[in-house]
This record gives sequence, C-alpha cells and structure tokens, in this order.
Amino acid sequence: MFVDAIVTSTANRAVRLRHDVSNTWTTALTTAAADLDALLRRVAQRDTDAFASFYDATRSRVYGLVTRVLRDQGYSEETTQDVYLQVWRTAESYDPASGSAVAWLLTLAHRRAVDRVRSEQAATQRESRYGAASVEPPADHVADAVISEDERRQVTACLDGLTEVQRECIELAYYQGMTYVQVSERLAANLATVKSRMRDALRGLRNCLGVR
Amino acid sequence: MTEPHSDLLELAVPYALHAVSDDERGEIEGRLAQLDRPDADAFYDEVRAVRETMAVVSAVSASEPPADLRQRLLAAVADDNVRSLPAPQPVSTGRGWRAAVLAAAAALVIGLGAVGVGIALRPEPAKVSTAQQVFGAKDVHTVSGAIPGGGTATLVFSREKNAGVLVMNDVPKPAPGTVYQMWLVDNSGATSAGTMDDKAVTPSTTAVLPDLGDSKALKFTVEPGTGSTQPTGAVVAELPLA
Repeated sequence: MFVDAIVTSTANRAVRLRHDVSNTWTTALTTAAADLDALLRRVAQRDTDAFASFYDATRSRVYGLVTRVLRDQGYSEETTQDVYLQVWRTAESYDPASGSAVAWLLTLAHRRAVDRVRSEQAATQRESRYGAASVEPPADHVADAVISEDERRQVTACLDGLTEVQRECIELAYYQGMTYVQVSERLAANLATVKSRMRDALRGLRNCLGVR
Repeated sequence: MTEPHSDLLELAVPYALHAVSDDERGEIEGRLAQLDRPDADAFYDEVRAVRETMAVVSAVSASEPPADLRQRLLAAVADDNVRSLPAPQPVSTGRGWRAAVLAAAAALVIGLGAVGVGIALRPEPAKVSTAQQVFGAKDVHTVSGAIPGGGTATLVFSREKNAGVLVMNDVPKPAPGTVYQMWLVDNSGATSAGTMDDKAVTPSTTAVLPDLGDSKALKFTVEPGTGSTQPTGAVVAELPLA
C-alpha cells in the first residue's frame, strides 16, 4: 500500500515538521490535557456537564481507535459507550501525577476493544478482514475540531518513518489485538525478534513525536 | 533494571499494548509485585511512555461517532448511581495511577442492563422468600458499584423489609487464604454481614442480607483466613445505602 517515494518524502518532511510544527500542537495538546484533568475531577463529583464536555473533547479518538480495532460499527458503539460509562464510574481513580488523562482514557478504550475482539474471535474464529501492515488513517476522515491537521500529519509522518516490519508489528499487535506470541506465529518470526521490533517501533514513534 | 529482570522489561511494550494473553499478564503482574521498587519502576515507566505515545498516535485513527451515541450515553449516566472506589494500591509501588489503571483496565464494568433482577432471583430455595419480599417492597432501592479488580456488585434493598439482596457479577475470586467480607456500616461502626471464600464467589453470586438496621453503607474488604471481627484489609468497594 505504501508508495516508497511518498513514504520517503513524508518521512523527510517529518524531520522538518518536528521543528516547525511540533511546538504548536504540543502546546495545544498540553493545554487540552490540563482541561481534561479538570473535567475528570468534575466528572468524579458527578458533574454531568463536565462529563459531556469530556466526551466531546475525546470521543473521536476513542470511537476511532475502537472502530480501528473492532471494524464493526455496532460493536464499536457498544464498546465506546462501555468505555465512557467506565469513565463516569471510575473518574476518581485517575491520578494526573502519573499520566495524562487522554492516555488513561485510551488505555481503557484499547483494553476493552481488544477484549471484545478476542472474545469475538474466540467465538467465531473469523478471519481478519485486514491485511498486515496497513497502519493508515481512515480515508474518509473529516475535519475535527479537537485534533489539528498538523498533529494528524505529524503522526502519519512518524508512522511512515517506521520500517515496514515495525509497522506490521504495531498493526497486528495494537490494531488487530493479537498477542506478541500470535504475531510471531503469523510472521513466522521468533519471539525475541517480534519483541524487539515492537520495542523499536515504539521507541521510534516516541522520539519522532517528542513524547517524554 | 538489573540483569535478571531484563526478560521482564522486554515485555513492557507488549504488556502496555495489551499484546499479552491474560495468563501471561497475570504472570507479569505477579513478578512485578515481587520486584524492588526501582526494577518495577523501570517497567512501569516504559508502560507509561508507550501509552502516552499511543495516545498521541490516536490522532490518525480518530473518527466521529454517530451523534445519537452521545444522547444514549448522557441518558445512561444521568440514571447511573454506580460509585467506584479507587483501586487498592500495591504496597511495593507508590504510583496510584498505575495501580488504578491496571485494575481499571482489568475491570469489567457491566452495562446497565446486564445486572438483572432475573439473575438475583436464580433459585436459592432457603432465601427466595426474603428476596421476593425485597423485590416486592414499595421502597425497593438499587445501588451498584464497579469492583476495581473486575465485576460489579449490586444491592437491591428495602428499609421497610429490613433486608437486601446482593448480586455480584464477574467478580474475581479472592486470593487463596483470603475472603471477601461484607460489612454493614452505621454510626457506631462496622458489623460483619458475612464472608465469601473462593468457592462461594462464582460468575454470578447472590447473598441475602437479612438485617440492615440503621446501616449507611455496605462495605467490602479483603480479609485474611476466614474473616475478621473488624475490617482490617483493603476496601474493595463501598455501596451507600441511601
């Protein structure tokens, strides 16, 4: 799916983008993070307006991630609803000193999506509808008030900056919900290789995105 | 992280991406609980960084949910009286978020419709009459809480009948050598309302509480052996009886 020339040029551009753009959206993200923390504290106090605002600020990330994993609209809506109910019920367990609210939320969302996809697969042993190594943004994404085009472009560029085998591991493990042992079976690669590809992929993304 | 734990540290990324089986996750968490603080911190710092990174990456998969999902969700929380306590924190590590996320990630908070009266009325010959009285009472109340380690506890109770029916769904069994103990808490303190050992806790467990008295809350703790005379262990949940 990846056209080499485009990948290369995007990856090169990513290096420049990191200097030009990252300050802008990192600042925006930091501001948003403080807002999300404050909203979660109010959610813990049973503030339904704060809950609605929290939902609006994060819904496209959560629904998009869940959909990416589950690839089924009905399941994705149910799972998204479960995720936010869990937020409503457990907001007071979130501690801003130990991580961002959005990471806390997306960890919950990903966990639930993976649990769902594994239970569905156990039930039906259905074949994956996606091929390997297609970490791509949905083609039909619309302008999002919460996520800037710059941020989206940079993340895409950072993903493109990974090697093909690193992307493949992220696709299978993170987006298809496989265990690293299943990934190694699928790729006929040994476990140590798969673990180091995953680690290198994350290290690459982390550095490229400037996550501390 | 020192050399003997390097194989564990290699699992931090798969662990953070939820790319380990449930069994292996249990093993990893068991090993982490045995580690000294700096070794465990190296693992959890890696987990935290992975999750922060993937949170940023979520920008590329973002897509708008259907508008009616918002309406359904807001309606659901408006009627939701579930109260969930922060997860008990492990002794060896001090990071609340980490403990809470591990527990919350493992938690299976059941949708509102799933905790049904039908489950509570599963035949229990000796207790059916009390349960029926409670469910038939004019002042029947329901209070529900997510158990941080997974599952939900729901109490259906009536002050008029001075009794309640507890339903626990998908709550994990207590660790070997411990029990869950229920406490009715009133102004003068906590009174034991019974214990549940690993054999008593099933995917759907019911218990009748015959004497609520003036209690303000039903509290659950983990207690050693066959239970205690006063709560000593970690509080896993507390349901307000209001």
